[in-house]
Parts: sequence; C-alpha cells; structure tokens
Amino acid sequence: MIKQQFEIPAGYKKWTLGFLAVGILALVLGFFVLGIGKDEHAQTRFWAVLLQNSLFFLMICNSAMFFICATTLAMGSWITTFRRVPEAISSLVPILGILALIVFACIIFGDKYHIYPWLDKNAVATDRVLNYKKGFLNPVFFLVWTIFTLCTWSFVGWKMRQLSRETDERPLSENQARQFTWKNTIWGSVYIVFFALTVGSSIPWLWLMSIDAHWFSTMYSWYTFGSTFVSGIALMGLFVIYLKNQGYLEYTNDEHLHDIGKFIFAFSIFWTYLWFAQFMLIWYANIPEETIYFKARLQGSYRGIFWLNLIVNFVAPILILMTRGSKRNYTIMTFMCVLILLGHWLDFFQMVMPGTVGEHYNLGWYEWGILALFIGLVMHFVGKSLTKSPMVPKYHPFLKESIMHHT
Amino acid sequence: MSLIKYESFVREPLVDGEKNYHVVTEEIVHTIEAKPTRLWYIGFSIAVILLLLGIYAVYREVTYGITEWNLGRTVGWGWDITNFVWWVGIGHAGTLISAILLLFRQGWRTGVNRAAEAMTIFAVICAGQFPIWHMGRVWLAFFVMPYPNTRGPLWVNFNSPLLWDVFAISTYFTVSLLFWYTGLIPDLATIRDRARTKLRKMLYGIVSFGWSGSTKHWQRHESLALVLAGLSTPLVLSVHTIVSFDFATSVVPGWHTTIFPPYFVAGAIFSGFAMVQTLMVVTRRVMNLQDYITIGHIEAMNKVIVLTGSIVGCAYLTELFIAWYGANIYESDAFFKGRLTGPYSWAYWIMMTCNVAAPQLFWFKKLRRNIEFTFIMSIIVNIGMWFERFVIIVLSIFRDYLPSSWSMYYAASIYEVGFFMGSLGLFFTAYFLFSKYFPVIAIHEIKHVLKTSGESYKARMGKIESEDMEQFYHEIHEAEHH
Repeated sequence: MIKQQFEIPAGYKKWTLGFLAVGILALVLGFFVLGIGKDEHAQTRFWAVLLQNSLFFLMICNSAMFFICATTLAMGSWITTFRRVPEAISSLVPILGILALIVFACIIFGDKYHIYPWLDKNAVATDRVLNYKKGFLNPVFFLVWTIFTLCTWSFVGWKMRQLSRETDERPLSENQARQFTWKNTIWGSVYIVFFALTVGSSIPWLWLMSIDAHWFSTMYSWYTFGSTFVSGIALMGLFVIYLKNQGYLEYTNDEHLHDIGKFIFAFSIFWTYLWFAQFMLIWYANIPEETIYFKARLQGSYRGIFWLNLIVNFVAPILILMTRGSKRNYTIMTFMCVLILLGHWLDFFQMVMPGTVGEHYNLGWYEWGILALFIGLVMHFVGKSLTKSPMVPKYHPFLKESIMHHT
Repeated sequence: MSLIKYESFVREPLVDGEKNYHVVTEEIVHTIEAKPTRLWYIGFSIAVILLLLGIYAVYREVTYGITEWNLGRTVGWGWDITNFVWWVGIGHAGTLISAILLLFRQGWRTGVNRAAEAMTIFAVICAGQFPIWHMGRVWLAFFVMPYPNTRGPLWVNFNSPLLWDVFAISTYFTVSLLFWYTGLIPDLATIRDRARTKLRKMLYGIVSFGWSGSTKHWQRHESLALVLAGLSTPLVLSVHTIVSFDFATSVVPGWHTTIFPPYFVAGAIFSGFAMVQTLMVVTRRVMNLQDYITIGHIEAMNKVIVLTGSIVGCAYLTELFIAWYGANIYESDAFFKGRLTGPYSWAYWIMMTCNVAAPQLFWFKKLRRNIEFTFIMSIIVNIGMWFERFVIIVLSIFRDYLPSSWSMYYAASIYEVGFFMGSLGLFFTAYFLFSKYFPVIAIHEIKHVLKTSGESYKARMGKIESEDMEQFYHEIHEAEHH
C-alpha cells in the first residue's frame, strides 16, 4: 500500500515536543541567567550561540533549495521521487530567516559589539581598519542587504515549490511538460544567480566573517557554502531514511540513497579541499594579519575542536562512505547524516566563537539546549510542511526516469 | 540494469537519425579508412609549419639563452608561464568530461569524450614544454627528479609548489593517457576487424592488445574505467590547484589569495570546454558527425561554459572586493592601480570582457544552440583565459615593492611569440593525426547509449510514456525480478 500523504506519527510529535521543550527551557533560562546578567562575557555567549545556530540552520535549509535548483538546471531526474523532502526543508527559510533577523536586530540595536566589533562606535572612530571598512560594515547596509536577501530566497524558493505542485493533480501534455521544464529552468537560474551573489559571496562576509572584522579571506564564502551544502544534503538524507522507514516514498530505493551518500561523500571532500586551501595558503605565506585567524583556533583552547572538525567532517566520511555498501545501508547512512550535521554545527561553532566569546568558550547546557531548540523547530516545521502536499509529484515529467534510476 | 528502456521525452536524443550498431561503426570509422580530404592536408600543413617555427624559436632560446626572451629581473615570468598555465587549463576538460561526467552519469559525454580526452593529452604535452625550456640550461632538466645522487647530494626543494607541479602534472598526464588509451582499445579492435590491408590489420592489431570483445574483457574494461574515473576526479582538481599554489603560496600582492585553488580549477574547466567547442564545431562539420555531436551536445557544453565563466566572475569580483576590504595598501594598489587602471589595464579589461561579460550571452537558449556564435565565443573565451594568466602573472609583478625596479613595459620577443605559435602547431599537428588514425568518437560508448537515447529508439517509447505510474512501477518490478 502506497502512502501518498504524510501524517505526522505520534512518536515524531513526541520527539519534536521534547526537543522544543528542552530548547525553550534553555532559551528562557539562558535569557535570564546569561542574556540579561551583568557579566558581559555571559551576554556575549547568549547571543553568539543564538547567532551560530540560527545562521547554521537557516543556511542548511536554504541549501536544500540550492540542491533542487542545481539539479533542475542540470536536468537531473533522480531526485524526483523524493524531491518533496528538500522542498519541505527549504520551506523553513522564511521562518528561520525571521528568527535570524530577530537575532541580528537584537545584536545590532543592543550594541553587542563583542559579537560584531564594527558596532562599537568608539572603535570605528579610532580603529583605522574598522573606520576604513565602515562603508560595508555598518548596520544600515547589513540590515538592508540581509532583509533583501531573505525575501528573495524565500520568494524564489516559494515559487519553485509552487511550480512543483503543478505536477500533483493531472497529467501534463507533452507541450505542458516542456513548458513546465522551461519555467523551472528560469526560476532555478534566478535562484542560482542570486545564490552566487549572496551565499557565494556577500552574505558570509557580512554575517560571519565580520565577526573577525580585521581579518579577511577570499575563500571564506565558498568555504561557508561547502559547509552548509553538505549539511543540507545530510539533513535531506536523514528525512528520506526516516520516511522510508515509516513506509512512505515507495518509489525511492537504495539507488537514490546511494546517490545521496555519494553527494555527502563528494561534498565532504569538497569542503575539505576548501578548508585545506584556505588554511594551507595562509599558513604558508605566514602574513600576521591573516594568520591571526588560525592562531586563535590552533594555539589556544579551540585546538581540540579545530582538529575534531577535520576528523568528523573529512576523515569519517572519506573512510566510512567510501564503499558502495555503506552508502546503501540505512544504519550507516543515518549515523553519517547525524555525524555530518553535528560536525558542521561544530564547524560553525569554531567560526563564530573565537571572535566573540574568545578563549573561554563553553559547550554546556545552553549550547546543547539551543541546538535542541533548532532541531525541534526543524522537525516541527518540516513535518508540517510535508503534510501539505502529496509525497510524490505524480505527474512530474521526470518521475518515471527517477523510479527506474540506477546509480 | 533494468530490461525496460526508457528516457523522458523532455530530453533531446543524443544520437540523431535512424541508426543501428552497424551504421554507427560505418559512419565513425569510414574517415579513418578513407584518404584524408584536401582540407585535412591544408590544415595539417599549416600546423606542421607552426610547429617548425616553434622548434626554431626554441632552438634560438636554447642556443643563445633566456635573453632571447624579453624577460627581465622584475618580470621574470611572462609569456612562457602564461602559456604554460593556459595550456594546463585547457587540458582539464577532457578528464572532467570522461571522469566527473562519468561519475555523474551524464549520457551526453559519449559524443565528445574521446576527442576531449585526446585534446587533454596534447594540451598537457604543450604545457610541459614551457617550464622545461624555461629552465634555460635544459640539459640539466633531470635535476627536478628527486633521487639519491652524487651531486652533493643535491635534493630538490620539497617545500616548493613548483616541484609539486612536476609531480601533479606528470601524474595527471599518466592517468589521462591511460584513461584515453584504455577507452580506445575496443574501438581500435573494431578497426582491426574491418581492416582490408595487412599492414592496417597488423598495426591496429598491435595497438588493440588482442581485444576479443569477450564478456570478461568488457567486465574488466568497465571496472578499469570506474577505477580510473575515481583516480582522475581528484586529479582534475589537484592539477590546477597546485598550479594556483605556484602563485598563491607567495606573498606577492595579486598572487596571494585563498580563493585561488577553486577559482583556477573553474577557470581551467572554462577554457578547456571552450577549446573542446572550437575543435568539436569544426570536427563535426568536416567529418560529417552532426548526428553524434548534436546541437544538444553543443548546448550542454555551452551551459558548462556559462556556469564556469560565472564562477570565475564571482571569484574576480571577490578578489576585487577583498582587495578593498582587506585594508592592505599593497593589495589594493595591485588591483586598483595595477589592473583596473595603469599601463596594463587594457589586459585586465580584455580579460573581464571575454571571461565574465561575454559568456553571459549563453543564458539565451538561441545563442547556446547557434553553431557560428558558439565557435566565435569559444575563441573569445580562450583569448580571455590567456589574458587572465597574463594579468595574474605580469600585472602582479611588473611593479614590485621597490619603485626603482618597476618595469614599465614588458613585451614578448619574436621568439617568445614563436614558441607560443609552435605550441599551437604541436597541438594541432597532434590533433590532425589523431583525427586521421583514431576514431574521434567513442564507438562503443555511443552504442551503449543508442538504445535509450537514440532518436529512432526514443520515438518508440510512446507506449511507456503513456502508462500510468502504478503500471509502470509494476512492470519495472517484474522486469527486475525475472
């Protein structure tokens, strides 16, 4: 029996509520204990963790839409049987976008210059470099470009999802199918171009690189893209496996899972490639204003996390996902998806924390609690979004190819 | 493999016309069996003349020394290293098409992979000439090989990216050659089996290594292709990555930037595809292969060109932005006074126009599918990519830290230009010989996609197309379990 319509299972609801409850508790407690305390260090911790999580989850959900658009432009048919999963994940972009915007607004209007040093008016007045950069690093430009970006991601993503719904009701004639492909290509291209202008360049500079406001690296944005894209695929893989286990996605089989595994494998190596290129070139040239970034991560209390990052995000996937069998195995793939997600969450942690809370970071109740909050949010909204459309776009022109897909 | 053959009608056929296996063989092999056309002789002669010119230019340089080139103390790398990087870049498309597109299961690669792989090998051979002859005392070239020796013992500098390049490129060349050659074996055996003269039978017999077409042979052949694809995929990335290290590991403003590795790789694929287009557009017309290298193939490659061109554009703009944002006066001067403006700004703007602006025209489907436009564009892209390397090399070093050693003008000598022309001659001589003696299209791979993607076969898929999903799914299950 093919289950066409997703209904949220009781167990799923229970876990979602559990994560949300823990998360909200951590947020409330954190707000009172850290957020409004006298201790500036605790305040910074409160906001830095929220920043790390909201940006990480926003960007991985957004990369689900990147995945859809990229495969659309490449005329990749294999994703059709499970494309409702990345669609559902991408529907979180407006929601997480608003959350990120709230965090930004609190940081900017609350003058949290331990997060973004360029918010400190005195520093901008006296510090030569910050002063020089104020044309780019200033609240107005930051907010305007961020809002514009979030709106465009949300709108084009919504458009792509709406287009996909056209294949649910009735068969498309040959002409309609060609038109459908054409429309998808147009909107997919709009998304990809805008993606290059935001995730591929300006957005990581503003949101993350400006935490270490003196420092710069041309690779930074592509590195951030690599990190969030591979995590986005892992999140998608996790939902596909879950839904398969629940008896949904009948047309999706080991072949599709195998290809998701290949993507995780390939883009883990891609991320490592960017990691290595950035690190090696800075290490080799040994210019003080550049090495300072890695000095904080390599020679202080972040040392463990710095190397763990590489082990989890490179050594593990290259060894574990190398063989054919492991990419077709539900247990191994579930483990790897979770590991990659945690690994890149940690990657974001080491991107955000050294420049904000500095040497005395925590990985305690608050950090894990906020992680739980965002896991709960993702589970809740993805689950809800999945119920809103049939699990399979029944009349999609590529569905038959996807059903008989061989990797 | 599923027994049911099906491909969505949305996709264009990869092989046009009413074809069966025999027709495919005939159409591809007949150019090898027939005498070359007049056009071939003319082209080949021009290529050989260019090659001779290059040999003379190199002879001058070896005999009279590097001063035959207009290099100086400030600009110590000029046309030679520009040409080296340009050719290495071009040598990326073949292996990308044969390896990465194989892993991505892109059926359209079958029409162009053979010629692209051959082109890769010739391009890498051309690239290798430049650093070798640039050594000056070329008879000591074997010094780059690290081995225990009686010269001191004198070891190479393992910390130098220039040495890594030696390894990267020779590895890449070896694997590409193996990949290309093993792919050729079944097709060479086809020519052998059709041979009418004893000599041809013998020669093609030797080079096809006794291929018999048994199941075991095919099985080994396919596993080897996968293994080599797995090996060459990281190699495609590594070669230009290491070429970029030649520059980026330094502290020269304009060279030292972290985005160099992926951006060099994207640029390499960009120029490589442009060169494939140049060759394919001509080859398909001269050899009458329009049914195999269809407009669809041309369009697919143009899509890769617009993609990689835009990635390169994104990197250029990132560099410019960070040159400002980095708040380093040397860095920003290198870009804003040494490139955007200044005595060499024309080179920078040629690069920007050809590499970033011009390919954007490929967003239009009509232009992507226009043969003449594609041909012109493919040349424009490679002019742009040549200038990119010239910009990176000369425009970063012509003003060094000491204003007294600024070199206000660097122009190539006639022997530098001659050397470059000679490399073009070498490349085209090799390509002409290849197109005469080897099948320019992978016959066995075309046969592999023929029954799912051939025009006449696709026309018969209407029945499956009209089936509803349940029925279709059921049939597939049946087919797979019996």
